[in-house]
Amino acid sequence: MRRAGSLIAAWLLAIGVAAQTLPADYTPEEIRRIQAHGPWPQPVLRDPSNRASGHADAIALGRALFFDMRLSPRGDLSCASCHQPGRALTDGRDRAQGGGAAMPRLDRNTQGLWNVAQARWFGWDGGSDSLWSFAIRPILHPDELGASAIDVGRLLRGDAALACRYNNAYGRAVPPDAAAETILVDAAKAIGAYLETLVSGKSAFDELHDALARGDMAVAARYPAAARRGLALFTGKGQCGVCHFGPNFSNGEFHDIGIPYMVAPGRVDSGRHGGIRRVRGDKYNLLGAFSDDATRASGSRTRHVAENHTTYGQFKVPSLRNVELTAPYMHDGRLPTLRDVVRHYSGLNEDRLHQDGEALLKPLRLTEQESEDLVAFLRTLTSRMFPDVSATPGPCHRRDARKE
Amino acid sequence: MNRKPRGLPGLAMAALLAAWPVAYAACDAGPGVQRGQTARVALAFRTDPPVIKVGELFSLQAEVCPQGGISVTGLKVDAGMPAHGHGMNYQPRVSRTGPGKYTATGMMFHMPGQWQFRFDVETPAGRERIRVDYTAG
Repeated sequence: MRRAGSLIAAWLLAIGVAAQTLPADYTPEEIRRIQAHGPWPQPVLRDPSNRASGHADAIALGRALFFDMRLSPRGDLSCASCHQPGRALTDGRDRAQGGGAAMPRLDRNTQGLWNVAQARWFGWDGGSDSLWSFAIRPILHPDELGASAIDVGRLLRGDAALACRYNNAYGRAVPPDAAAETILVDAAKAIGAYLETLVSGKSAFDELHDALARGDMAVAARYPAAARRGLALFTGKGQCGVCHFGPNFSNGEFHDIGIPYMVAPGRVDSGRHGGIRRVRGDKYNLLGAFSDDATRASGSRTRHVAENHTTYGQFKVPSLRNVELTAPYMHDGRLPTLRDVVRHYSGLNEDRLHQDGEALLKPLRLTEQESEDLVAFLRTLTSRMFPDVSATPGPCHRRDARKE
Repeated sequence: MNRKPRGLPGLAMAALLAAWPVAYAACDAGPGVQRGQTARVALAFRTDPPVIKVGELFSLQAEVCPQGGISVTGLKVDAGMPAHGHGMNYQPRVSRTGPGKYTATGMMFHMPGQWQFRFDVETPAGRERIRVDYTAG
């Protein structure tokens, strides 16, 4: 009798274990697809074009400049005005708002900056090929910070703390106005070095990824069922992972997904087409004199990028990490919620796509349940931990020239 | 040490070897070497790195082996995803490194999936196109 009781208990235990482990019963193909999106975080490699990359003193200078409203001579904007720490380093608007008396509505949505160092092109059109040249554009643009190189130099020379940080970062005092462009680039490289540190922590998806990698099915089973169904759609029927590829959920390139690119009557946003022209003509690009990479090897992509006609109206494939926090969506912020984004792909209007564009794009025709599942999956890409990006650095103590 | 084929099977083997384009020898497959051919020309190439990573630039070294004494005047290299209907976002540069030898730099497969290399071998008699499939990612 006792023996029979033990057998029943063992059987019940087995049933219980089976019920517990069943949801984590991933196929080898599922595991392979999931593993392609990790591990996270990925290492941030030092940027050979930026001698400030990875240097603590330069990062401190860059952080100070990022939050400093005086970087705009009008005193009305800093980088953090649009890239707000409380909003996943974006602004919650459909299209960015510029500064000055007119406060113009700009043409594009503000992209979040978490994990931005994982990209190879910057901006919706990829008009910049490095983080530091990406930082120069809004500093100089009259609708954004609206500064000149001389303004930046005067700010750095005129503020004791900034001058001290510049000295510690670059091993020399802030040069005079005659070298204003050098100071501008140095400031942008410090901001670039700071942006490299913006790395978000692991998400629920990463916990699933890591659990499957080490064969820990008990932890894998904690991943929500709806998200798992959404993940299967993402990597399977939806083929979303083809463009939202790899650990950062972006292949770093550009596609036309049928979002209209008319900005106003008679005016279009040419997207990648204009971006290629811009980066090629940019004196701050990776092939130019301001790059610290003597070999110019880091400029290979800029050297080889092809200006095809199909790039017209293409925009960058955004990372999906923390996508839940960066609404609204698309290059012009026209879609308010993740449900709207899924609905866009579900009912994709093929007439809006380039005739010789990406043939992979077809309406997914998702059911209501599938749409909900896909959104549930996207929400598991939100990091559980973010470093405190607005932490004030300590006081600056001037040091002698840094030894490289 | 070459072994002579003997008997009927040996004759068949000899016939096969006679039909095999001897001039292709330099373009034979080997570790890390991929190969394609038409009736008039063969091509062997290896990529650097040997396994192409999605989203990273790579280069390739190609050797062209023409048959029947035709000469090769140039090589163009491109790639695309036939099922997706698009090519690469990057324009490779091809340079001649020796007789029949070329290097292509600045290539990138920006999506995982089925890619196809397209080699256009230029000869005085016209262009020979060689296609070689490759699965990335």
